[in-house]
Amino acid sequence: MGIDVNFGWSSTIVKVILGATKSNGGTRRRSYQIGGGTTLPFLETTPDSSGPLIAFEICDDLQNWSPIVRNYCRDVVNDCGEWAHAADSVYGADMIRLYLTSTRQRNFSDIASVGKTVESVLSKTSLPLIIEGSNEPTIDSEVFLKCGEAGEGERLLLGTAEAGRYRSIAAAAMAYNHSVIAQSPIDVNLAKQLNILLKEIGVARDHIIIDPYTGSLGYGFEYSYSAMERIRFAALKGDSDLAMPIICSAIDSLTVKEVRDAEPALQDNIAVQWEFTTGLAAAAAGAEIICVRHPRTIPLLRKAFVSLKSEKIVAGGQ
Amino acid sequence: MKLAGGKTDVDFCPYLDDAAKAILGATTRPPIRLVKLGIGERSFAVGEEFVLYRHEKTFYHPPGILFKIADTQTLDEIRTVTTRVRDESFTRVGADLRFNGIAIDNTSGSPDTFARAVETVEKTADLPLVLMARDPAALSAALMHCGTYRPLIHAATQENYKEFCALAKHHGCPLVIKGNNIDKLAQLAKDCTAIGVQDLLLDLSPESLQAFIVRSTNIRQLAITRAAPDLGYPVFLDASIMEMQDAAIALGIAKYASVIISTPLSPATARAALTLRQNIYTDPQKPIQMNPGLYRVGNPGKDAPVLMTVNFSLTFFTLQGYLESTRVPCFMLIVDTEGLSVLTAVAAGKLSEMLVKESITKFAVEDEVSHRKLIIPGYASPLSGRIEEATGWKVMVGPRDAAEIGDFLNQEWKQ
Repeated sequence: MGIDVNFGWSSTIVKVILGATKSNGGTRRRSYQIGGGTTLPFLETTPDSSGPLIAFEICDDLQNWSPIVRNYCRDVVNDCGEWAHAADSVYGADMIRLYLTSTRQRNFSDIASVGKTVESVLSKTSLPLIIEGSNEPTIDSEVFLKCGEAGEGERLLLGTAEAGRYRSIAAAAMAYNHSVIAQSPIDVNLAKQLNILLKEIGVARDHIIIDPYTGSLGYGFEYSYSAMERIRFAALKGDSDLAMPIICSAIDSLTVKEVRDAEPALQDNIAVQWEFTTGLAAAAAGAEIICVRHPRTIPLLRKAFVSLKSEKIVAGGQ
Repeated sequence: MKLAGGKTDVDFCPYLDDAAKAILGATTRPPIRLVKLGIGERSFAVGEEFVLYRHEKTFYHPPGILFKIADTQTLDEIRTVTTRVRDESFTRVGADLRFNGIAIDNTSGSPDTFARAVETVEKTADLPLVLMARDPAALSAALMHCGTYRPLIHAATQENYKEFCALAKHHGCPLVIKGNNIDKLAQLAKDCTAIGVQDLLLDLSPESLQAFIVRSTNIRQLAITRAAPDLGYPVFLDASIMEMQDAAIALGIAKYASVIISTPLSPATARAALTLRQNIYTDPQKPIQMNPGLYRVGNPGKDAPVLMTVNFSLTFFTLQGYLESTRVPCFMLIVDTEGLSVLTAVAAGKLSEMLVKESITKFAVEDEVSHRKLIIPGYASPLSGRIEEATGWKVMVGPRDAAEIGDFLNQEWKQ
C-alpha cells in the first residue's frame, strides 16, 4: 500500500455517559456515551460514536436571553417544561441544557423553586439534561444539592465548576452520581489544573466534561478553537488530565453586534449562521457537545454531522 | 544560512549539481508550494503553510473564496455576480473582508459560450478566475481572453492530464489536479511536474464532509512532515457541489482548503464565512490591540459612567457591544496592557494602579466627567483598593462577564 499517515497518537478520550435510562436507574428514554476518540475529530474510519451531540439551551428567567429566541420560540419560553418539550419534540435536540438563571437575581433565596423547575423539565422531556446552577458562592451549595437531588439517578451533567468555585457542584455531583462541566478561561493549562482539582476531591475522570469557554465567532472564537485543538492534542498524546470530552457553548453568539444590529428580515438567518458556523468549527476542533439557542440551528448541525459520520471512504494512505 | 532560513532557493546556486540540489531543495523548500492566482491588486497566493494547528505557529495564506457562475447564465447575471465580488466588502476589527474571484463553469459544453462568459467577467472586473471545464478546446477558447492573467485551470485527471498540462504550461497558469485517492493524486502530481507544470492544487473530490476532512488533514500532515513531497500543494475545494455548501465552506476554512468555490452566498452565510476565515487566519502570536484612549458609547454627558478595561481588541469589542445594547451613554477608558486580556494582564502585572492613574491623566478623563467614580472589570477586583489610593477615584467593581454590564449599570450605577 502507498502513503502512510501517522500522527503518533497514543491515547484515547475518556468515555462519559450522559443520561440514564430505566435499566440504569433513570427515566430518560435514551442515554449517550461520548468520548472514546482515538484520533482527530471525524478522522475515525471505524468509530462507534454517535458523533457530536446538539444541546438546546433554555432558561427560567429570560432577562438576559436574546430577544431573537423569545420572538422565534414565542410563548413556550415562559414555561421551562413546555420549552424543553418543544426542544425535544419540535426542534429535535439531543439534550436540553437548562440554565437556572432565576438564581442569578440579586438576593435570590427561593431554593425550593429550583427543585421544582428541574422536576418539571424532567417530566416534560425524556432527553438527558444539562443543568446550569447558580453563579454565587453563598447559595451554590444549596442550589446544586437541590439540582442533584431532583435529578437523582438521571446522570445529569451539572454546570459550571470553575477554579474558584467547584466544591459545591462537585459535592452535589458525587452525592447523586452526576457529571460536571469544568470551565476554564480559554487556556489549556488552566483546564488541566481544574481537572486535577476535581480529581483530588474525588470526581471521577469519566464524570468530567471540559468547557474551555467559547468566544463567539468574530469575538475570540479563534482562541477557543485553538484551546480545543490543544486539549484534544494533549489528550491523544497521553495527558490523562485533559482526556475528557469537550463542550462548546458560544453563549454570546446571539448578542454580538453582527446579529443584534442585523436588518430585521435577516436577523434569524444571521443568528443561525453564527451559531452553525461556530458549532461546526468547534466540532472539527474537538467539541462533542454543541450548545445552541436558536431552534433553526439544530437541523443544520444535524445534517452536517450526518455528512461527517463515518462511512467507507476512499482515502488512500490508510 | 540564507537557505536554511528559507530566504533563497537552491536553484540559484551555480556550484551545486542536480543531485545535491534535489536533496537540499527538499529540505529547505516550503513543504507546501506557494501558488499565485490572478494578477494585479486582487491577486492572491495560497500554500506555503507549515503547521497542522494554527497555535503551533500560524496559518499564513487565507483561502480564496470564489463565486461560481455557469456559462449558461445570462450575461447580465454573470455581470451582477462579478460586480458583487468586485465591490462587496465587510469591515471587521479594522480589516476589509472580501470574496476573491469568479469561477466560470463550462456547463454548456460549448467553447464559444464558455469564452463569451469568461470575456464578460474579464470586462467587468480584474479578478482572479478559475476556469472549470472538461474540454481542452473550451479551455483553449477561454484562455484566449484571460490566459495572461494567471487563471486557475480546473481540472486535470489521470485521463486528460497531458492536454491540460500543455495548456497550463503554454499560458503559465496554475492547474488543479483531481482524484479521490491520495496515492493516485501523488502520482498524478509527479506526472504533471515531470511535464513542467509546477503550480498545482489538489481537488480531493470529496463524496462527503468527512471524506474532505480525512483527505485534507492527511494531505496536510503528509506534506508538512515531508513524508509525501508529491502532495505538497494547496487544496482546492468546490463547496458548491457538496451536499451542504455552508458546512463545506466552514470546514474548508478550518481544515486546510486554500481555494474554495461556492455559489454566490446569502448575506448571512457570506458574513459568517468571512468572519470565520478572519478568525482562523489571525496570527495567534499577535493579539489584535486597540489604541489606548477614552472611547465614547452614545453621547455621554458629564455624569456618564466611566468603565475602565484593557486594550485587548476582543475585550473592547465585547464590552462595547453590550454597552451599546444597554443604551446607557458612557465612556470606555482603554488602558495599554499590550493586548492582554483582563485576567492575564492582572496575573502578569501589566494592569496596575499606576497604569490606570497615568491613563486617567493622559486621556484627560477628569475634564470629561464631573464625578470621580471608575468602574473596573470584575477580574481586576484585586486592584480596586490600590486604584482608589493611587487615583483618588472611587472604584466600583463591575461584573466579570461583560454580558452582565447592563444589569450592573441599571442596578449599581443608577442608585
